Amino acid sequence: MRRTVLSALALACTAVLASTVPAFADGGSPTTAPRKTPTAAPAEPGKTAPTPVPTEQAPSAEPTVPGTKPTAPRPVPTTAPTRAPSRGQVAVVPKGAPDTGVAVKTSQSGPDAAVIGGSAAGAALLAGGAAVFVVRRRRATGA
Amino acid sequence: MTRPPGRVLAAVTAALVALPAALLVACGGPGAEGPAGTPARPAASSPAGRPTGQAGRAARPLPRSVPVELRIPVIGVDTPVMRLGLAPDGTVQVPPVTAHDQAGWYGHSPTPGQVGPSVLLGHVTVGRYGDGVFRHLSRLRRGDRIEARLGNGTTAVFTVGSVRTVAKAHFPAREVYGDVDRPELRLITCGGPRTGNGYADNVIVFATLTAGTPPG
Repeated sequence: MRRTVLSALALACTAVLASTVPAFADGGSPTTAPRKTPTAAPAEPGKTAPTPVPTEQAPSAEPTVPGTKPTAPRPVPTTAPTRAPSRGQVAVVPKGAPDTGVAVKTSQSGPDAAVIGGSAAGAALLAGGAAVFVVRRRRATGA
Repeated sequence: MTRPPGRVLAAVTAALVALPAALLVACGGPGAEGPAGTPARPAASSPAGRPTGQAGRAARPLPRSVPVELRIPVIGVDTPVMRLGLAPDGTVQVPPVTAHDQAGWYGHSPTPGQVGPSVLLGHVTVGRYGDGVFRHLSRLRRGDRIEARLGNGTTAVFTVGSVRTVAKAHFPAREVYGDVDRPELRLITCGGPRTGNGYADNVIVFATLTAGTPPG
Protein backbone atom coordinates (compact mmCIF):
# COMPACT_ATOMS: atom_id res chain seq x y z
CA MET A 1 0.00 0.00 0.00
CA ARG A 2 2.65 2.46 1.03
CA ARG A 3 4.81 1.46 -1.90
CA THR A 4 1.93 2.27 -4.20
CA VAL A 5 1.47 5.67 -2.62
CA LEU A 6 5.15 6.46 -2.85
CA SER A 7 5.26 5.38 -6.46
CA ALA A 8 2.34 7.66 -7.23
CA LEU A 9 4.08 10.58 -5.55
CA ALA A 10 7.26 9.96 -7.51
CA LEU A 11 5.23 9.87 -10.70
CA ALA A 12 3.52 13.14 -9.82
CA CYS A 13 6.87 14.73 -9.12
CA THR A 14 8.16 13.64 -12.51
CA ALA A 15 5.04 15.00 -14.17
CA VAL A 16 5.49 18.38 -12.52
CA LEU A 17 9.05 18.63 -13.74
CA ALA A 18 8.14 17.48 -17.22
CA SER A 19 5.35 20.02 -17.48
CA THR A 20 7.68 22.87 -16.64
CA VAL A 21 10.06 22.13 -19.48
CA PRO A 22 7.75 23.12 -22.41
CA ALA A 23 6.84 26.32 -20.63
CA PHE A 24 10.45 27.38 -20.65
CA ALA A 25 11.19 26.15 -24.13
CA ASP A 26 10.44 29.54 -25.61
CA GLY A 27 12.57 31.35 -23.15
CA GLY A 28 16.21 32.05 -23.23
CA SER A 29 17.77 28.67 -22.71
CA PRO A 30 21.25 28.85 -24.11
CA THR A 31 21.88 26.71 -27.14
CA THR A 32 24.87 26.11 -29.32
CA ALA A 33 22.96 26.58 -32.54
CA PRO A 34 25.04 28.35 -35.17
CA ARG A 35 24.24 32.01 -35.38
CA LYS A 36 24.55 34.41 -38.21
CA THR A 37 27.53 36.64 -37.94
CA PRO A 38 26.51 40.19 -37.30
CA THR A 39 26.54 42.35 -40.36
CA ALA A 40 27.57 45.92 -40.60
CA ALA A 41 24.06 47.08 -41.39
CA PRO A 42 22.26 48.09 -38.22
CA ALA A 43 18.78 47.33 -39.49
CA GLU A 44 17.26 43.89 -39.83
CA PRO A 45 16.93 42.68 -43.41
CA GLY A 46 13.50 43.14 -44.87
CA LYS A 47 12.71 46.21 -42.85
CA THR A 48 12.43 49.44 -44.69
CA ALA A 49 14.15 52.26 -42.97
CA PRO A 50 11.73 55.04 -42.15
CA THR A 51 12.83 58.58 -42.61
CA PRO A 52 13.76 60.69 -39.64
CA VAL A 53 11.41 63.38 -38.59
CA PRO A 54 12.56 66.81 -39.65
CA THR A 55 13.22 69.03 -36.73
CA GLU A 56 11.51 72.01 -38.26
CA GLN A 57 7.87 72.42 -38.91
CA ALA A 58 7.50 71.89 -42.61
CA PRO A 59 4.19 72.99 -44.06
CA SER A 60 3.36 76.27 -42.40
CA ALA A 61 4.47 79.81 -43.12
CA GLU A 62 6.77 79.47 -46.04
CA PRO A 63 9.21 82.38 -45.89
CA THR A 64 8.80 84.91 -48.67
CA VAL A 65 11.66 86.96 -49.90
CA PRO A 66 10.71 90.55 -50.85
CA GLY A 67 10.64 91.06 -54.55
CA THR A 68 10.09 87.47 -55.47
CA LYS A 69 6.87 85.98 -56.68
CA PRO A 70 5.20 83.56 -54.35
CA THR A 71 5.57 80.12 -55.72
CA ALA A 72 3.03 77.39 -55.73
CA PRO A 73 3.07 75.09 -52.73
CA ARG A 74 5.41 72.21 -53.16
CA PRO A 75 4.27 68.67 -52.57
CA VAL A 76 5.20 67.34 -49.18
CA PRO A 77 7.94 64.76 -49.63
CA THR A 78 6.44 61.94 -47.65
CA THR A 79 5.99 58.30 -48.40
CA ALA A 80 3.17 57.95 -50.85
CA PRO A 81 0.33 56.03 -49.28
CA THR A 82 -0.49 52.77 -50.95
CA ARG A 83 -4.09 52.92 -49.84
CA ALA A 84 -6.81 55.37 -50.64
CA PRO A 85 -6.86 58.16 -48.07
CA SER A 86 -9.77 58.13 -45.70
CA ARG A 87 -11.65 61.24 -44.66
CA GLY A 88 -10.91 60.77 -40.99
CA GLN A 89 -8.37 62.40 -38.76
CA VAL A 90 -5.99 59.58 -39.60
CA ALA A 91 -5.58 60.11 -43.32
CA VAL A 92 -4.66 56.52 -44.13
CA VAL A 93 -5.60 53.73 -41.78
CA PRO A 94 -2.97 50.98 -41.88
CA LYS A 95 -3.87 47.36 -42.33
CA GLY A 96 -3.65 44.93 -39.48
CA ALA A 97 -1.67 45.21 -36.29
CA PRO A 98 1.78 46.76 -35.94
CA ASP A 99 4.66 44.34 -35.66
CA THR A 100 6.63 46.11 -33.00
CA GLY A 101 8.60 43.35 -31.36
CA VAL A 102 11.34 41.01 -32.49
CA ALA A 103 11.67 38.35 -29.86
CA VAL A 104 14.95 37.85 -28.10
CA LYS A 105 16.96 35.09 -29.73
CA THR A 106 17.69 31.91 -27.86
CA SER A 107 21.44 32.49 -27.79
CA GLN A 108 20.94 35.37 -25.42
CA SER A 109 20.39 34.18 -21.91
CA GLY A 110 19.47 37.22 -19.97
CA PRO A 111 18.59 37.54 -16.32
CA ASP A 112 15.20 35.94 -16.91
CA ALA A 113 16.77 32.85 -18.35
CA ALA A 114 19.16 32.63 -15.45
CA VAL A 115 16.32 32.83 -12.96
CA ILE A 116 14.27 30.22 -14.76
CA GLY A 117 17.23 27.91 -15.18
CA GLY A 118 18.14 28.29 -11.55
CA SER A 119 14.63 27.57 -10.40
CA ALA A 120 14.42 24.47 -12.58
CA ALA A 121 17.69 23.19 -11.19
CA GLY A 122 16.48 23.89 -7.67
CA ALA A 123 13.26 22.05 -8.32
CA ALA A 124 15.10 19.03 -9.67
CA LEU A 125 17.35 19.04 -6.62
CA LEU A 126 14.35 19.25 -4.34
CA ALA A 127 12.63 16.37 -6.06
CA GLY A 128 15.76 14.27 -5.94
CA GLY A 129 16.22 14.98 -2.27
CA ALA A 130 12.65 14.00 -1.57
CA ALA A 131 13.11 10.72 -3.42
CA VAL A 132 16.30 9.89 -1.52
CA PHE A 133 14.59 10.74 1.73
CA VAL A 134 11.70 8.44 0.95
CA VAL A 135 13.94 5.56 -0.03
CA ARG A 136 16.01 5.91 3.12
CA ARG A 137 12.94 6.02 5.29
CA ARG A 138 11.59 2.97 3.59
CA ARG A 139 14.81 1.09 4.21
CA ALA A 140 14.93 2.27 7.79
CA THR A 141 11.41 1.15 8.50
CA GLY A 142 11.86 -2.07 6.57
CA ALA A 143 8.93 -1.46 4.31
CA MET B 1 14.32 7.02 15.61
CA THR B 2 11.77 5.70 13.29
CA ARG B 3 9.30 8.17 12.06
CA PRO B 4 5.78 7.03 11.46
CA PRO B 5 4.91 6.47 7.81
CA GLY B 6 2.36 9.26 7.97
CA ARG B 7 5.10 11.80 8.65
CA VAL B 8 7.13 10.53 5.74
CA LEU B 9 4.19 11.00 3.45
CA ALA B 10 3.56 14.45 4.85
CA ALA B 11 7.16 15.49 4.22
CA VAL B 12 7.06 14.27 0.64
CA THR B 13 3.74 15.96 0.04
CA ALA B 14 5.09 19.23 1.39
CA ALA B 15 8.06 18.99 -0.96
CA LEU B 16 5.76 18.44 -3.91
CA VAL B 17 3.66 21.43 -2.96
CA ALA B 18 6.71 23.63 -2.53
CA LEU B 19 8.13 22.66 -5.90
CA PRO B 20 5.59 24.29 -8.23
CA ALA B 21 5.28 27.21 -5.84
CA ALA B 22 9.01 27.87 -6.15
CA LEU B 23 8.73 27.75 -9.92
CA LEU B 24 5.88 30.22 -9.94
CA VAL B 25 7.75 32.68 -7.78
CA ALA B 26 10.78 32.50 -10.03
CA CYS B 27 8.77 33.11 -13.20
CA GLY B 28 6.97 35.99 -11.60
CA GLY B 29 10.18 37.86 -10.86
CA PRO B 30 11.89 39.90 -13.51
CA GLY B 31 9.99 38.18 -16.26
CA ALA B 32 6.67 39.48 -15.03
CA GLU B 33 7.45 42.98 -16.09
CA GLY B 34 7.65 41.82 -19.65
CA PRO B 35 5.30 42.60 -22.45
CA ALA B 36 2.87 39.97 -21.39
CA GLY B 37 1.13 39.27 -18.21
CA THR B 38 0.44 41.45 -15.27
CA PRO B 39 2.91 44.23 -14.92
CA ALA B 40 4.72 44.37 -11.62
CA ARG B 41 5.87 47.90 -11.07
CA PRO B 42 7.52 48.66 -7.77
CA ALA B 43 5.21 50.97 -5.92
CA ALA B 44 7.97 52.93 -4.24
CA SER B 45 10.06 53.79 -7.28
CA SER B 46 8.19 56.65 -8.82
CA PRO B 47 10.86 58.93 -10.15
CA ALA B 48 8.66 61.53 -11.73
CA GLY B 49 5.62 62.15 -13.79
CA ARG B 50 2.95 60.62 -11.60
CA PRO B 51 0.76 63.64 -11.13
CA THR B 52 -2.71 62.78 -9.99
CA GLY B 53 -3.71 59.23 -10.65
CA GLN B 54 -6.47 60.44 -12.93
CA ALA B 55 -6.53 61.10 -16.61
CA GLY B 56 -7.29 64.79 -16.14
CA ARG B 57 -9.12 67.18 -18.40
CA ALA B 58 -8.28 67.72 -22.01
CA ALA B 59 -6.31 70.83 -22.83
CA ARG B 60 -6.70 73.08 -25.82
CA PRO B 61 -5.44 71.67 -29.09
CA LEU B 62 -2.00 72.66 -30.29
CA PRO B 63 -1.02 73.74 -33.79
CA ARG B 64 0.43 71.14 -36.08
CA SER B 65 4.07 70.38 -35.48
CA VAL B 66 5.77 67.05 -35.88
CA PRO B 67 7.09 65.30 -32.75
CA VAL B 68 10.84 65.12 -32.33
CA GLU B 69 11.18 63.62 -28.87
CA LEU B 70 9.12 61.46 -26.56
CA ARG B 71 9.55 61.27 -22.79
CA ILE B 72 7.77 58.95 -20.38
CA PRO B 73 9.50 59.60 -17.06
CA VAL B 74 7.83 56.86 -15.07
CA ILE B 75 9.30 54.10 -17.25
CA GLY B 76 12.48 55.91 -18.19
CA VAL B 77 11.71 56.54 -21.85
CA ASP B 78 13.51 59.47 -23.48
CA THR B 79 13.83 58.93 -27.17
CA PRO B 80 13.99 60.80 -30.42
CA VAL B 81 11.00 60.29 -32.68
CA MET B 82 11.21 59.38 -36.34
CA ARG B 83 8.55 59.61 -38.98
CA LEU B 84 6.84 56.44 -40.12
CA GLY B 85 4.68 55.74 -43.12
CA LEU B 86 3.12 52.70 -44.66
CA ALA B 87 4.88 49.50 -45.62
CA PRO B 88 4.24 48.14 -49.13
CA ASP B 89 1.74 45.65 -47.74
CA GLY B 90 -0.35 48.42 -46.24
CA THR B 91 0.69 47.85 -42.65
CA VAL B 92 2.22 50.61 -40.64
CA GLN B 93 5.99 50.94 -40.79
CA VAL B 94 7.88 50.32 -37.59
CA PRO B 95 11.20 51.77 -36.46
CA PRO B 96 14.31 49.85 -37.50
CA VAL B 97 15.52 47.02 -35.31
CA THR B 98 18.75 48.44 -33.98
CA ALA B 99 20.71 48.50 -30.77
CA HIS B 100 19.37 51.88 -29.73
CA ASP B 101 15.98 51.87 -31.31
CA GLN B 102 13.66 54.82 -31.09
CA ALA B 103 9.99 55.57 -31.27
CA GLY B 104 8.23 56.53 -34.47
CA TRP B 105 5.28 58.75 -35.25
CA TYR B 106 2.83 57.52 -37.85
CA GLY B 107 2.90 60.40 -40.31
CA HIS B 108 -0.66 59.96 -41.54
CA SER B 109 -2.01 60.59 -38.06
CA PRO B 110 -2.36 64.00 -36.41
CA THR B 111 0.68 65.42 -34.73
CA PRO B 112 0.60 65.24 -30.91
CA GLY B 113 -1.68 67.96 -29.62
CA GLN B 114 -3.85 68.21 -32.70
CA VAL B 115 -7.42 67.04 -32.45
CA GLY B 116 -7.43 63.35 -33.26
CA PRO B 117 -5.46 60.24 -32.38
CA SER B 118 -1.74 60.80 -32.78
CA VAL B 119 -0.10 57.39 -33.14
CA LEU B 120 3.41 56.57 -31.98
CA LEU B 121 5.01 53.15 -32.16
CA GLY B 122 8.05 51.49 -30.67
CA HIS B 123 9.52 48.05 -30.21
CA VAL B 124 9.19 46.05 -27.04
CA THR B 125 12.26 43.99 -27.88
CA VAL B 126 14.70 44.27 -30.75
CA GLY B 127 15.91 40.70 -31.19
CA ARG B 128 19.55 40.19 -30.40
CA TYR B 129 19.83 43.79 -29.23
CA GLY B 130 17.59 43.13 -26.26
CA ASP B 131 15.01 45.51 -24.90
CA GLY B 132 13.25 47.97 -27.14
CA VAL B 133 12.37 51.55 -26.35
CA PHE B 134 8.82 50.53 -25.33
CA ARG B 135 9.94 47.53 -23.26
CA HIS B 136 8.03 48.65 -20.19
CA LEU B 137 5.07 50.30 -21.85
CA SER B 138 2.69 47.85 -20.23
CA ARG B 139 3.73 49.22 -16.84
CA LEU B 140 2.00 52.50 -17.49
CA ARG B 141 -1.08 53.22 -15.47
CA ARG B 142 -3.92 55.68 -15.57
CA GLY B 143 -2.65 59.11 -14.62
CA ASP B 144 0.94 58.64 -15.77
CA ARG B 145 2.50 61.47 -17.71
CA ILE B 146 3.74 61.38 -21.30
CA GLU B 147 5.54 64.30 -22.93
CA ALA B 148 5.96 64.82 -26.64
CA ARG B 149 8.31 67.59 -27.66
CA LEU B 150 7.34 69.08 -30.97
CA GLY B 151 9.41 70.59 -33.72
CA ASN B 152 8.22 74.10 -32.87
CA GLY B 153 9.54 73.79 -29.33
CA THR B 154 6.21 73.16 -27.67
CA THR B 155 5.83 70.21 -25.34
CA ALA B 156 2.52 68.38 -25.50
CA VAL B 157 1.77 66.78 -22.15
CA PHE B 158 -0.53 63.78 -22.17
CA THR B 159 -2.02 61.80 -19.32
CA VAL B 160 -2.64 58.08 -19.60
CA GLY B 161 -6.28 57.10 -19.57
CA SER B 162 -5.98 53.37 -20.10
CA VAL B 163 -3.58 50.63 -21.13
CA ARG B 164 -4.86 47.65 -23.05
CA THR B 165 -3.32 44.41 -24.22
CA VAL B 166 -5.17 43.03 -27.23
CA ALA B 167 -4.62 40.11 -29.54
CA LYS B 168 -3.13 41.14 -32.86
CA ALA B 169 -5.80 39.13 -34.58
CA HIS B 170 -8.38 41.45 -33.04
CA PHE B 171 -6.50 44.73 -33.27
CA PRO B 172 -9.00 47.52 -32.47
CA ALA B 173 -8.31 49.69 -35.50
CA ARG B 174 -11.36 51.83 -34.97
CA GLU B 175 -10.43 52.67 -31.39
CA VAL B 176 -6.83 53.35 -32.31
CA TYR B 177 -7.23 55.23 -35.59
CA GLY B 178 -10.85 56.37 -35.36
CA ASP B 179 -11.86 60.00 -35.01
CA VAL B 180 -12.08 61.60 -31.58
CA ASP B 181 -13.18 65.05 -30.48
CA ARG B 182 -10.03 66.06 -28.61
CA PRO B 183 -6.24 65.67 -28.86
CA GLU B 184 -5.29 62.15 -27.94
CA LEU B 185 -2.24 59.94 -28.11
CA ARG B 186 -1.79 56.27 -28.88
CA LEU B 187 1.39 54.44 -27.97
CA ILE B 188 1.66 51.00 -29.49
CA THR B 189 4.07 48.15 -28.99
CA CYS B 190 3.95 44.37 -28.89
CA GLY B 191 3.24 42.14 -25.95
CA GLY B 192 1.71 38.93 -24.78
CA PRO B 193 3.05 35.46 -25.50
CA ARG B 194 5.76 35.01 -28.05
CA THR B 195 4.90 33.49 -31.38
CA GLY B 196 7.99 32.40 -33.24
CA ASN B 197 9.93 35.56 -33.81
CA GLY B 198 7.30 37.97 -32.57
CA TYR B 199 4.45 38.44 -30.16
CA ALA B 200 0.78 37.53 -30.19
CA ASP B 201 -0.57 40.76 -28.72
CA ASN B 202 -0.28 44.50 -28.90
CA VAL B 203 -0.01 46.80 -25.91
CA ILE B 204 -1.85 50.05 -26.56
CA VAL B 205 -1.72 53.13 -24.34
CA PHE B 206 -4.56 55.61 -24.69
CA ALA B 207 -3.74 59.10 -23.44
CA THR B 208 -5.28 62.56 -23.58
CA LEU B 209 -3.66 65.96 -23.95
CA THR B 210 -3.74 67.71 -20.60
CA ALA B 211 -1.29 70.54 -21.12
CA GLY B 212 0.81 72.25 -23.73
CA THR B 213 3.87 74.07 -22.58
CA PRO B 214 5.26 76.77 -24.86
CA PRO B 215 8.88 76.70 -25.97
CA GLY B 216 11.15 77.37 -23.07
